[in-house]
Amino acid sequence: MRSARSIRNRGRKRKSQVFDLDITSLLDILVIMLVFLLQSTNSTGIILTVPKDVELPVSSSATPSNEGIVVQVSPTNIWVEDKEVLNMDGDIRSQMDQGGRRLIPLFNELVKRKELIKRSAKSSPQAQDFGGIVNLVVDKTVKYSFVKKLLYTCAEAGFKEYKFVVMGLEQ
Amino acid sequence: MYRAPSRRKAKKEFVKPNLIPILDAVFIFIFFLLMSANFVKIYEIPSDVPIISDAEPPPNQKPLALTLKISASYIEIQTGVPARTYTRIGKAADGFYDLEKLHSTLIDLKNRNLKEETAIFEPIVDLTYEEIVKIMDATRELRNTDPALFAKDKDGVEMRLKALFPKIIFGNIQS
Repeated sequence: MRSARSIRNRGRKRKSQVFDLDITSLLDILVIMLVFLLQSTNSTGIILTVPKDVELPVSSSATPSNEGIVVQVSPTNIWVEDKEVLNMDGDIRSQMDQGGRRLIPLFNELVKRKELIKRSAKSSPQAQDFGGIVNLVVDKTVKYSFVKKLLYTCAEAGFKEYKFVVMGLEQ
Repeated sequence: MYRAPSRRKAKKEFVKPNLIPILDAVFIFIFFLLMSANFVKIYEIPSDVPIISDAEPPPNQKPLALTLKISASYIEIQTGVPARTYTRIGKAADGFYDLEKLHSTLIDLKNRNLKEETAIFEPIVDLTYEEIVKIMDATRELRNTDPALFAKDKDGVEMRLKALFPKIIFGNIQS
């Protein structure tokens, strides 16, 4: 203080103080968030929508989900890529053919989607070709007799690989 | 030379905002958001569409042709062409199929057929999807507690197997 007041230092400009902000606690929070986000990140980049009335079964499988058309099945509805194709509240016998093995609205929608993918693959070299994969997001209470119809319909529509979407064990 | 006395400038006080209470609040918000978030880990079980082939199997090679016929009271394990009953797995005390016994039987079969990867499912009874997934898990997965199985890869190097019968095909979807 004395030196600052001294005659020798008169006329010298004082150093301008830098406005410093304590961001230590902010960085602490960011690190915690980063850890949680890295833990929960999905490296495949595939987004699967699970409708609210679909409860997935738990499985010990650790194979990450793959690309493909998504068919969601609840006890009362069937969606293809979030578009409702069949409501099963009433009698659905009129919606089936081939001895009750094929679900007509699902078949039509799957064929439409397949043709769309094939057309876009032809027109654009960047577009992905039809892989023949169908992701089945099925509610755990659905009976095998109905799952069989789904599998048969998908196979009839030209899909050669099923992927049963399940929930990981560590939930 | 006369110099007028300089006026001492008052030190400028820099205002430092106190961010600590705001950051405390943000931290509590983040804690609640992370606790209420549902990080669902989604996986898949692959399965191929069954293909009927009349091609002859390679000579000197007997296919395992592992088939699991699931009826109301037991799971019948069939092997070979034509299919012969290998064993039957009944139900456990909890009323569901004895999946531990099924798993150990399949490990025994895998030990004798290390290159086989396919199991054909033929549920006769109307099981729920969840029950089928449980049987698929017992058929597909090799757990850490299971005995280690080794098979030679294409370069002749022995590799530890990571799965039991990972390829599951539903054989009766046309019925």
